[in-house]
Amino acid sequence: MARSKFKAEVLTPEGEVFNDEVEMVSTRTVTGSIGVLAHHAPLLAILEPTELRLYTSESDYTSFVQSEGYLQVADNEALLLVEDAIEPDKLDRSKFEGRLESARETLESAEEGSEERARCERDIKRFEAFLEAADNSGSPSS
Amino acid sequence: MASQRDVKNRISSVKNIQKITSAMEMVAAARLRKAEQRIEELRPYASAIRRMTRRVVEAAEHVPDLPILEEHDSTDKVGLLLVTGDRGLAGAFNSQIIRAGNRRRGELREEGTDVLWYASGRRGVSSIEFRGYGLENGYTGFTDRPAYDDARTIADDLTSAYTDGKLDRVEIIYNGYISPLTQEVRSEVLLPMQQIEFLAEEGDEEGESDGEGKDDGADDPGHHKTLWIYEPDPEEILRRLIPDYVEISIFRALLESTASEHGARMTAMRSASDNASDLIDDLTLEANRVRQAEITQEIMEVVAGAEGLR
Repeated sequence: MARSKFKAEVLTPEGEVFNDEVEMVSTRTVTGSIGVLAHHAPLLAILEPTELRLYTSESDYTSFVQSEGYLQVADNEALLLVEDAIEPDKLDRSKFEGRLESARETLESAEEGSEERARCERDIKRFEAFLEAADNSGSPSS
Repeated sequence: MASQRDVKNRISSVKNIQKITSAMEMVAAARLRKAEQRIEELRPYASAIRRMTRRVVEAAEHVPDLPILEEHDSTDKVGLLLVTGDRGLAGAFNSQIIRAGNRRRGELREEGTDVLWYASGRRGVSSIEFRGYGLENGYTGFTDRPAYDDARTIADDLTSAYTDGKLDRVEIIYNGYISPLTQEVRSEVLLPMQQIEFLAEEGDEEGESDGEGKDDGADDPGHHKTLWIYEPDPEEILRRLIPDYVEISIFRALLESTASEHGARMTAMRSASDNASDLIDDLTLEANRVRQAEITQEIMEVVAGAEGLR
């Protein structure tokens, strides 16, 4: 049975990347994976870097690699504010591999307990999630 | 007096320059349109973040004590971020930023504060290095089309320097975009962040978000608190939301600077093309005069020769 649909919008600082009716939004918040269906209770959550899936039907979905952001569900509308949302096949692997490498190097030299260190850890987490998400979503519809 | 050939050479070289400047003008005009669009595209995101923050602040018991909100006890070291372009030939675009930075440096030194330099854009970087001021960090290669990632890198550098006590205040100097013809040098304090920035109700943004914003402020704020699920709790969300403002401010400054750069280049190149055609007119006149003088000269010589034979 087809699920009822609701509006989902994905906004990044560089513009809107998705705005359509969906059946389910599947993503990950800091507390864990989450799937949002229609008529979800109002929710505000911090998103983690992961693969974002917007199911337009049971089997069809649009997929993005998302970085940190926020998810707001209200009035049967999901609004995702993410810093980056990249289509998996457009993700430049080598670029993120290089940046992951340099973030790791900086981490080595960063002082214990400094903000710089915390930031490197965040960066590493993000790049790793990007690469992982890009691997997982290699073949859509599977 | 210049010979006919000299003048003709000058005319053709001015014509070549004119071709280049008018091509650059057209390229700048096309890029300006794109840059304007990107400023527009940031707006929905920024205002959505703003609305969300306001809601979370209402739900949170108190705004958490974040290092970037705290003012340092004394201001000994100020970070100046100059936003310039990677390329020149854009009128006063780069030089007015560098001049403003220099002026600010003078003011700060009188107060006895050290200045640490940060710059985006090759022009700013090289000018600071040339003056031997010592550059903390330079960011280049993206001013034609800044990505959010670039803003994040800069914001991360500055906030971690601020949090770790390497800087006591951070100011940004950039070209604010008003119209293709006018840009103004803007100087803003980035850190410590002013709470007003994210708590303020922005009149114009409220108006524009009318349709969507109705559920936000219209009904009782206490109402939300009971109904909304926050993951994690509102204070934690604020801890993440507030630093985003620094990123967004920098990103907006980068975008406006890019639009200003293209606007300034377009204007500069247009007046260069105009000047070139004035110059061509003058030179053509000169060429005709030279040619006429040569003809007159020859006639006089012929007449004088005929006189002599008589």
